[in-house]
Amino acid sequence: MDLKYSSADREFRARARDWLSGNVPKIARPAHGATAVTFDRDWQRKLFEHGWAGVAWPADYGGLGLSGLQQVIWYEELARARAPHYINTTYVSLMHAGPTLIARGTPEQKSFHLPKILAGESIWCQGFSEPNAGSDLAALRTSGVEDGDDIIVNGAKMWTTDAAHSDFQELLIRTNPDSQRHKGLTWLICDMRSPGIDVRPVRTMLGDAHINMVFYDNVRIPKSNVVGEINDGWSVALSTLSFERGLGFIGDQLELYERVGRAIDMAGKVRLENGKLAIDDCAIAQKLAALKADAMAIRAMTLADLSETDRTGQPGPKGSMMKLLVTSTHKGLSELAGDILGWDFLEFNGDRSAHPWTYDFLWSWIFSISGGTNEIQRENIADRVLGLPRAR
Amino acid sequence: MFLAPEGGELEIASAAAAFLAAAMPIDRLHGPAPADMDAALRRKIGEMGWFALALPEDAGGSGLTAVEFVLFFHEVGRQCGPVDVLAQCLAALTTSDPSLRTAIANGEIGVSLAVPDAESVRILGSPEAALVVQVHPDRSELFEMPRLAVSARDSLDPATSMRVAPSLSGPLASTQTTHVWTMGQLGAAAMLVGIAQEALSQIVAYASIRETFGKKIGSWQAVRHPCADMAIRVEAARSQLWFAAAAHKEGRTDTATHLNAAKHLANLAAVSNADTNIQLHGGIGVTEEHHAHLFLKHALVLSRLFGAKRDLLDRLLHAAVEA
Repeated sequence: MDLKYSSADREFRARARDWLSGNVPKIARPAHGATAVTFDRDWQRKLFEHGWAGVAWPADYGGLGLSGLQQVIWYEELARARAPHYINTTYVSLMHAGPTLIARGTPEQKSFHLPKILAGESIWCQGFSEPNAGSDLAALRTSGVEDGDDIIVNGAKMWTTDAAHSDFQELLIRTNPDSQRHKGLTWLICDMRSPGIDVRPVRTMLGDAHINMVFYDNVRIPKSNVVGEINDGWSVALSTLSFERGLGFIGDQLELYERVGRAIDMAGKVRLENGKLAIDDCAIAQKLAALKADAMAIRAMTLADLSETDRTGQPGPKGSMMKLLVTSTHKGLSELAGDILGWDFLEFNGDRSAHPWTYDFLWSWIFSISGGTNEIQRENIADRVLGLPRAR
Repeated sequence: MFLAPEGGELEIASAAAAFLAAAMPIDRLHGPAPADMDAALRRKIGEMGWFALALPEDAGGSGLTAVEFVLFFHEVGRQCGPVDVLAQCLAALTTSDPSLRTAIANGEIGVSLAVPDAESVRILGSPEAALVVQVHPDRSELFEMPRLAVSARDSLDPATSMRVAPSLSGPLASTQTTHVWTMGQLGAAAMLVGIAQEALSQIVAYASIRETFGKKIGSWQAVRHPCADMAIRVEAARSQLWFAAAAHKEGRTDTATHLNAAKHLANLAAVSNADTNIQLHGGIGVTEEHHAHLFLKHALVLSRLFGAKRDLLDRLLHAAVEA
């Protein structure tokens, strides 16, 4: 057991810190909409042009081919430099679609899509959940019928973030109408400009409409866009989800520690309704310190999990544990910020940069529901970590 | 950077687990209370060299690091091992007198642990002990056991005898260093993580065989989800403890902060997991013959040692860590 970074790791950190210090955008990211997408594309293109895109992606696919630990170092330095948050419109392409294509795509799919993803040229969205298939993803019913060289898709997808601004979608559909559950599914690359796609925004409790419902009316998708085999989409989808539940959350984990520090600074300046400085309130001070310990533990857990992943070569089931700890710490911190800010916390117009604490408070439910609800994560832990008797 | 036990570290942990399961099994706590470390057990542990694990080699020890120390005390915790084991290790680090150090390390002389309690001191551990060690964040002192004015007190925890003395004076030995406190914190936190882990293992095993409404209780979400939360508490506390132990081994300047966080998380994990373990067992969980209550009672003692909640959180609030 050791905490020593190799000279290559230290040199990489120094280079990252140096570059970020002169290149992080001076203006805040717009909260959502087309201007946010442009902002995200520009930032990703800048990372690409300066050789920082795809830190842990294999060099054969345009990445830097560096270790998981150097990926962690990169996220640490992003958080320290207060660089744009990595959960933005490029998230699905960089964290889901890209890794899935690397694992399961054809040579043609890889050579067409991966460079565009890294350069911020193509934005992807996810098409897994449906109105009647969320936590129970295998209940999905959007259908695909083979027709010559194409598959014709009909149905509806739900909770699709940034669908209106996306170029492509990772689309999971049922291609065998007689199949049940996990069998008979297919993972497709869907061009979002295909005729027959209708995107309808869903307003959220945050006041924005970054989430959408997507309808498919006889949408024709070439079979060359199938990733993996027809009717073998479940195994492709699982490889996508394992990225999200594994090291995909490292950025949040490390950023939390920074945010707890910001909350402590804030509590040292803000006066409560009784006139006391927030930090002098015993209950607030204790909660802040406990959140700092949680944030430290998340970092230690990330490194412990990374060490195990390095040894086994597979992202482990601990991703579910981290997602639970990260989302509950995130919510606890946001609630406490509300306690500290008092009435000011309720002054909110939907603008993330003007009201970051309130925005993050509202976001905390999206965080604990999307990408597998906290209840589903507990099921995963019960099954895959603890080996308890199956519930389902 | 490798934050998991490997190689020789794993061998130490499994050797400790096998030795302690035979020498100091948790079943001993169902006998006549209190079941501290008696002289025979003390000599047995001393002969195996466990008290000298982290003593430097030139002081007659094994010269191992905070990492092996933590792995050993994790196993002690799983058996609800007495506080005396830790007191013995810390006393050996406190004296520089070679013959006294040897006598402590090989278990000839017993040591109890003193902690301040308002105007007096509480002494935890076997009444047979001839010495008592009191550890402060910046120094450590070893005293002869006071014979006068010491009053025995009842103890909730069958693993720990408790007495109260007005004060301790005239130390036999002392050392001005933060190292002994750090090792005390590491040992206590490791025992707590061991308890948290054992409580989890116990309910997982029971939930896999016990049936209600015609199904194993481990298939009901009312049981599965609290078990998942127990697993997260263990994982968070253990990872942070490993981080703190490795930080101490490498002499990092932010060791104390990482360790305060680790002790806080270990306190929470042990007490919460012991609580949930009793609850999920149902009626059998509150019986004397079951181990479940032993984890809770011992966790309540250990969570008050080397930093209780208020103390730890006060120190954490404005502390910073290295990148």
